[in-house]
Amino acid sequence: MPINRREFLFRGVGVATVSALVPRFAVAGARFFEESLVPGAAARVLVVVELAGGNDGLNTVVPYTDPLYSGTLRKNIGVPAASVLDLDGTLGFNPVMTGLKSLWDAGRLAVVEGVSYPNPNLSHFTSRDIWHTADPALAQRRGWLGRWADVALAGNGNPLCGCAISQSLPRTLLADKVVFPSFTNLAAYAYATDGQNSSDAANQITGFVAENSVQHEIETRNALIGGVARDAASSSATLKQVTSNYVPKATYPNNSLGNALKLCAEIINGNLGTQILYVTYGGFDNHASQKAAHDNLLKAVSDSIKAFFDDLDGQGKSSNVLLMTWSEFGRRPQENSSLGTDHGTSGVHFVAGSAAIRGIYGPPPSLSSLDRNGNLTWQTDFRSYYGTVLRDWLKADADAILGKGYPNLGFVNAAYV
Amino acid sequence: MSITWDREAAAHLARRAGFGATPAELDSWVQAGLDATVDRLVNYGSVDNSQLENDLQALTSFVPPATSPIYDLSRIDGVRRWFLHRMVFTKRPLEEKMTYLWNLWWTSGITKVQGVTLMHNQNKTMRQYALGKFDDMVVAISQDPAMLIWLDNAQSRAGRPNENYARELMELFTLGVDKYTQTDVTEVARALTGWTVQGYTSADSYNGAKFFDNVAQHDNGSKTILGQTGNWNGRDAIRIILEDQDNRGSVSGRFVASKLWTFFAYQDPPDWIVDELTDVYVSSGRSIKAMVEHIFRMEEFYERHSRKVLVRSPVEYVAASLKQLEAKTDMSVPVSDLIAMGQALFDPADAKGPEGDMDWINTGTTFARASTTNKFVTNRSTTGTRIDVNALVAGKTLTTPTDVVNALTDRFGLADVPPQTRADWAKYVDSNPDGSRGYWKNEPARVDVKVRGLLHLMLTSPDYHLC
Repeated sequence: MPINRREFLFRGVGVATVSALVPRFAVAGARFFEESLVPGAAARVLVVVELAGGNDGLNTVVPYTDPLYSGTLRKNIGVPAASVLDLDGTLGFNPVMTGLKSLWDAGRLAVVEGVSYPNPNLSHFTSRDIWHTADPALAQRRGWLGRWADVALAGNGNPLCGCAISQSLPRTLLADKVVFPSFTNLAAYAYATDGQNSSDAANQITGFVAENSVQHEIETRNALIGGVARDAASSSATLKQVTSNYVPKATYPNNSLGNALKLCAEIINGNLGTQILYVTYGGFDNHASQKAAHDNLLKAVSDSIKAFFDDLDGQGKSSNVLLMTWSEFGRRPQENSSLGTDHGTSGVHFVAGSAAIRGIYGPPPSLSSLDRNGNLTWQTDFRSYYGTVLRDWLKADADAILGKGYPNLGFVNAAYV
Repeated sequence: MSITWDREAAAHLARRAGFGATPAELDSWVQAGLDATVDRLVNYGSVDNSQLENDLQALTSFVPPATSPIYDLSRIDGVRRWFLHRMVFTKRPLEEKMTYLWNLWWTSGITKVQGVTLMHNQNKTMRQYALGKFDDMVVAISQDPAMLIWLDNAQSRAGRPNENYARELMELFTLGVDKYTQTDVTEVARALTGWTVQGYTSADSYNGAKFFDNVAQHDNGSKTILGQTGNWNGRDAIRIILEDQDNRGSVSGRFVASKLWTFFAYQDPPDWIVDELTDVYVSSGRSIKAMVEHIFRMEEFYERHSRKVLVRSPVEYVAASLKQLEAKTDMSVPVSDLIAMGQALFDPADAKGPEGDMDWINTGTTFARASTTNKFVTNRSTTGTRIDVNALVAGKTLTTPTDVVNALTDRFGLADVPPQTRADWAKYVDSNPDGSRGYWKNEPARVDVKVRGLLHLMLTSPDYHLC
């Protein structure tokens, strides 16, 4: 039986007691964490971008030469063929996606087509959990990157070895032996103080660290809670320090994804040993009047990712960063009578970074052979998508994490160093 | 054997049987004695709670030109606010603590249930049967529309049984893992076929759904459940499950005993405690009230090793803070902040619900808790969640920094913190902006700064995350 988190933390009591008075993550400690990481994978960062709500793949990577697309399925909300940003003569980006197109042109973007899983579930709730856990049977509690972290990151002691820029921890990052913090912005990842007495703020923070450093006569959970609080305070101070003078080398669009990716860039640039960053961007459940709203979302995604890599390029930090997107499903090929689209099956996803190999992976879904719900029949198992990242980017035992082996899609340069 | 009934013991009981007590409540508990206090806690039906009900009546109604009530029960946040309000302002703490326990026990989530009224009604059902016979609770929940949707029994039909609820009924709710076989799951699912819902109209919401025993969809064949064969229906299946015995006695009794002790006292109860509580379960005819009352009268419950060993969930942390700060609140911030602390009340991620304990505590949730209580103690406006800082120290000696600390520890059940913690707090009270000492004077402006800051430190100390 695998060790559960409670047992793990309980066994950790002794350690926490011994070190109760020692800050576990001092500002000067960042280098220590880098040195303690697995060689080879040490410097690598994976950024996961969740497009929540179910992104419409057909209006993202448009099969603009297929007459079924413009003539039948997307008569009203389709992207005009003349406007697409052509990729290969048959597929083209939605014209708002100039940012991703420039990454494509630079050879730093892979497009993964037709991704789903057997018997696709059309519920946001269920399909999201399937994607988070990489398990269509939903027998896994932990997320797919949580299972990776339990092997790769357990015991490294770095409270910022990964984090989610989101309101609560996404299940993808749920692990037994590692607890990733989540926060929506840097201000939220700090000990809140009295806003009307800012001159007392330093005293309040000092008091917080002090009260969480006291040894109790009987140590129960108080020692563990104190240890977490000290980790929080020191990692917050570190983050504040590395981000306080941050000057981005690109202009991020002013939306929540742009802000979140900017924060990711600040963290990466801070050399904190952070290996996983997770960002959620929502609003893709476009059942009605889809066109303008969806174009805005795609533009935000495209511009934000482009700005993120421009910024990292400028900082000299882009070479060890890979970004991947996912969404719980694509949408139904036939537009609905409200000028929107309903829940579908397979979708298209992007992998960006210098280690990404430009190309279109997986056959684009056929618009003529739909399933009984009128949805796309899927072609590429999402575990192949995850497995390729695990194996070739994170250098992990992908088969063990995913339960068995899935074909490698080859979009990551495995020889990349 | 004897239990020392003092202020510390009363505060311990108040944390466990409710969401903590105010100093005035503790005064009355100490004076009443243990027996009378436990009597009053468990026989809450005779405690007048009309003030709460009247307040909630007003808070859930509205008069134009207002467009919605303060607690809008047609929205899940309104139900959350209504429930949290009950926890903080009830005169029957155990009633709400039990309802909260059942909420964790059975789960059900609005994301899947898609019916706010159904979630609200389920909560009322849990309150109605909170201290009743376990059998009645199991039947009521098994026929509860939100549960029927949450775990899919609503779709279970003769010939096409859905095993989801049948499995969780035994694994998560009554017997525990490995106490049944896959055959039992299939057979219980068959017995439960036909228990479904009807009466809702909209495809987007199940509001209006009522329990419906669809006999036409019930599997009337013979079933063998936990070794007993017959043409069992849902009630039969529940009875057989609850009566199941193994070589250690009542299987459901041990399961319920262990869960109750873990919730009210500490984790991993030794066998003798499980045995003792299982005996109460059996001899009382599976009465939850008898078991809970027994716990509150056990010497073991009051031992030092039973105290401050449970991690408060975000809901418990927020409710206790509001109660012990004697805050005024519309429950807006408390409810909206719960997600950042990691608890989606009425919306758990899965049928098992949150793991609890140290799973609640990470660096992000630590800051989230601190952020919320900071809002409580620093809001100086006349709306929203706010405190009367002067009332909290009224009549107290505040001459020295230590006086200030001593004026507040009892209120939050922190009288037992280590001397070093008291010293750290006093140092905070006496610290100038540049960190040097000598700041403290008992004057209104300094009270306003340092008492608020100290309250926040107390609420973010390790001790206050425990109960």
